[in-house]
Amino acid sequence: MRLPDSVTGSFLVVLGTAAAYGGWLLPPVPGQPVGPNVFPLVIGIGLALCGLAIVFGIGHTFEEEEVLIPLDGQTAAAPPPQGKLYGLRALLPPALLLFYVVAADRLGFIITAAIMVYVTSTALGAKWKLALPLAALAPFAIHLIFGKLLRVPLPAGLLPTPW
Amino acid sequence: MLKTLIEAFALISTWEVIIAMFAASVYGLVIGSLPGLSATMATALLVPVTFYLSPIAAIATIVAASSMAIFSGDIPGALLRIPGTPASAAYADEAYAMTRKGQAELALGAGVWFSAVGGIAGVLSLMILAPPLAEIALSFSTFEYFWLALLGLMCATLVARSSPVKAIAGMFLGLLVSCIGIENPGGVPRFTFGLTDLFGGIEPIPALVGVFAVAQVMRAMLTPEPPPLPRRKFGSIMAGQWMLTKKYHWQMTRGNIVGIIIGVLPGAGADMAAWVSYAMSKRFSKEPEKFGTGHVEGLVEAGASNNASIASGWVPSLLFGIPGDTIAAIAIGVLYMKGLNPGPTLFTEKASSMYAIYLMFIIANILMIPLGIAMIRVAAYILLAPRSGIMPIIMLCCAVGSFAIGNNMFGVVTVAAFGVIGYVMEANGYPVAAMVLGIVMGTMVEQAFVTSLIKSDGSILPFFERPVAAILAAMAIGALLWPVMVWVWRKVKPVRTGVAATSR
Amino acid sequence: MSKITRRTFAASTAAVAASAAFGLTPALAQAYPARPVTVIVPWGAGGGTDATARIVAALLEKDLGQPFNVVNRTGGSGVVGHTAIATAQPDGYTIGMLTVEISMMHWQGLTELAPRSYTPLALMNEDPPGIQVSSSSPYKTVKELAEAIKAAPPGKFKASGTGQGGIWHLALVGWMQAMGLPANQVAWVPSNGAAPAMQDLAAGGLDLTTCSVPEARAIIEAGKARSLAIMAPARNPIFKDVPTLKEAMGIEYATGAWRGIGAPKNLPPELATKLTAALKKVYDSAEFKDFMSNRGFGTVWGDAGQFGSFMDKGDAQMGEAMKAAGLSKA
Repeated sequence: MRLPDSVTGSFLVVLGTAAAYGGWLLPPVPGQPVGPNVFPLVIGIGLALCGLAIVFGIGHTFEEEEVLIPLDGQTAAAPPPQGKLYGLRALLPPALLLFYVVAADRLGFIITAAIMVYVTSTALGAKWKLALPLAALAPFAIHLIFGKLLRVPLPAGLLPTPW
Repeated sequence: MLKTLIEAFALISTWEVIIAMFAASVYGLVIGSLPGLSATMATALLVPVTFYLSPIAAIATIVAASSMAIFSGDIPGALLRIPGTPASAAYADEAYAMTRKGQAELALGAGVWFSAVGGIAGVLSLMILAPPLAEIALSFSTFEYFWLALLGLMCATLVARSSPVKAIAGMFLGLLVSCIGIENPGGVPRFTFGLTDLFGGIEPIPALVGVFAVAQVMRAMLTPEPPPLPRRKFGSIMAGQWMLTKKYHWQMTRGNIVGIIIGVLPGAGADMAAWVSYAMSKRFSKEPEKFGTGHVEGLVEAGASNNASIASGWVPSLLFGIPGDTIAAIAIGVLYMKGLNPGPTLFTEKASSMYAIYLMFIIANILMIPLGIAMIRVAAYILLAPRSGIMPIIMLCCAVGSFAIGNNMFGVVTVAAFGVIGYVMEANGYPVAAMVLGIVMGTMVEQAFVTSLIKSDGSILPFFERPVAAILAAMAIGALLWPVMVWVWRKVKPVRTGVAATSR
Repeated sequence: MSKITRRTFAASTAAVAASAAFGLTPALAQAYPARPVTVIVPWGAGGGTDATARIVAALLEKDLGQPFNVVNRTGGSGVVGHTAIATAQPDGYTIGMLTVEISMMHWQGLTELAPRSYTPLALMNEDPPGIQVSSSSPYKTVKELAEAIKAAPPGKFKASGTGQGGIWHLALVGWMQAMGLPANQVAWVPSNGAAPAMQDLAAGGLDLTTCSVPEARAIIEAGKARSLAIMAPARNPIFKDVPTLKEAMGIEYATGAWRGIGAPKNLPPELATKLTAALKKVYDSAEFKDFMSNRGFGTVWGDAGQFGSFMDKGDAQMGEAMKAAGLSKA
């Protein structure tokens, strides 16, 4: 998701201004010469100034394009398929995490985790021969480490673990 | 002296201590290598176990687990570009670039070897320098802390490979995130939008997991599976390390010294040691242009630095009960619990216990070499597994690890949000590491600034009057003006810029 | 200690259903606890509250024969964990550690929860604040310090020990009020806990700290600071030569940071009685006493009724101090 510098810069200007305004509204604290409003104010202004500088391309000369070191004897990989909806695939991991937040208490850790693993794995191009066993085993392994050894209270939900 | 040393040996050569140390080492290695689980968390989760152990065994587990976890954070950093602990974040890119070049064993070998050397240097500092160093750190008031924290923030622009303006913008974003919550000097809710979960602010660990781990999985969704690394046997891990030690002995020593100093200063721990040392290494290097392309020099210095800070972080803890870092803070709790109350008397009345702690640090760092190599060999199989097999597990670790910090689902929401933020920032050339630094240091900067002003009745003169503060101030302002000066220089001499650009 | 398993969760739903259907009979109370109990701690692992909860849980487990699992529910500066205790099922299988913040946060408008939102079970610990000065300070007694504070213009003296509106800040405000001085006579420098405040005191950045004596202990023993008085009804056995405010100045003022065990509101009285009795045994045990004195924590016992009225009294005192300091929203 490569956006033009003018877009990200403008966003920072808006965010910085909002932060400075939000900070400015905060009440002073008795006995403190510098209240809780100053720090957000300074940061907001700083952020907005950086945003302006980025919009006008200051400091752009420093940027180096990230170069992936080519591997010996490997040709460059095929360009990724393009398309409007293809870019939305990137949102799958955070969406799955939110799914975990919503569903884990009801479905339980094992089932939720299995769904997460299966979806992530297939989205990355795994065949069912890999994705299914992984979705079946990984949740139990993670539960063993975190739930059993580290005593993290993972939700039980519908399917109890054998330990 | 010799008698107390023998007593100390007797204290640690019990089966309980030996087993506790070995088990804690393996535990620390595993936790440290799991992205999202920091060395601090590994130590905190050990505290309940220490209830059932003798005092020396209890401290042994903390010493061993924390040292190992700081090293093993390097492993996923090098193999997957996901630092296992914040202390490895500074050079994860560099180590990963080395892996891409087929030098994984050199990168990880340097990690284990220079971590062990750094750890031992840290212990030596603990033994020899503890009293005078703690005395210096104790004279630091909030004025000095303000400049110190500001200097720490400046490291963000030094380590970044992208535009310094974008690095500073990233740092400001991090500072803005640190404003959230009521943990500010005024104790008023800021940017919480009425959400109880935001009162405590954004914890650095889920933010870090989000920008490094989740964003990495997001990128994987859009990029085709990279060609598998040539399948070959992992070469010798220690080969070449002696040569590196000879070649970079000065960098190693400097990393050790910087790590020791930062460890002793309260509040600044292994994370900051690694950042500062990596930045120093780049600035003073004879071949700075190689940094970021898979060059081992920065790894040597930063790896030597973060482990040195672990041991030296115990210096103020043992002397004054002031934690040098978060791990030492937990250790202090255990010390009190076990009747080894921190204070100068500890060095006289319980000298054998003190020597036992020194010895355990040395043993833990020696033990790190064989156990670390074994851990690397196991972890190296990650390289052979397909991405669609690893990424789902990382997702699970992100969800569970961020939940486990406070047993609070809000941690998972934070991770998801920072995944998106990190992904967008990275894609547009904003260094995420600068933002993480801002989140970690933000509270310290504001706290030091506001409390200093209260103490000086609103005058800013004391920020420059105190001698140590003045030196730190000059350094911070210099670092702040550096990018501006370079920019002006380039504007004034456009021809030279062109030459510099093509010669790169 | 084992963890909560799926079976216990399933069992918990069954138990809730059972208690709803038949009502809790004394026989059921006798069978309590039939499965593991969760102990919620609103603060992070490794801290003082966590350590206290863990020793209490371990000793309860020994006495009642079922695992007592400590779960740290952090976040929201204690609000999240305290909410989790208040909103749990009042079936005796979720109890928690209440801390002094529950009598403070609602005055600041951070939560609706107050001490009355819980079933009090037992008060286990209270640490009174001390008044510490640097060892290079000219004031040798608390009386001298108080005279100097009175004579100086407001805000000249700087004190610290915790964040703005924290328990030690309110202790200072309460002390000022007890002396008939305005709340802002001494300027409060917020700090991130007692340890940095003590360090700053030793570094010469502050005039006094009002954190608890155990928190100040390491620096005092290092010879960098000394304690002039404690704001408690009686002297601390570890620091026998530090007088109380009453002894030194004739001022009747005492406060402190406390920790106690509570349960959700409407806990059946049979269960509450049983838990309080078990907690009394824990309190009287040598293990608990040794543990607390090793860490320098004060021990105070209060049964359910005493704990309840103790919290009510403290709540009113905190409200007064917070209003005086301009911190209260209520």
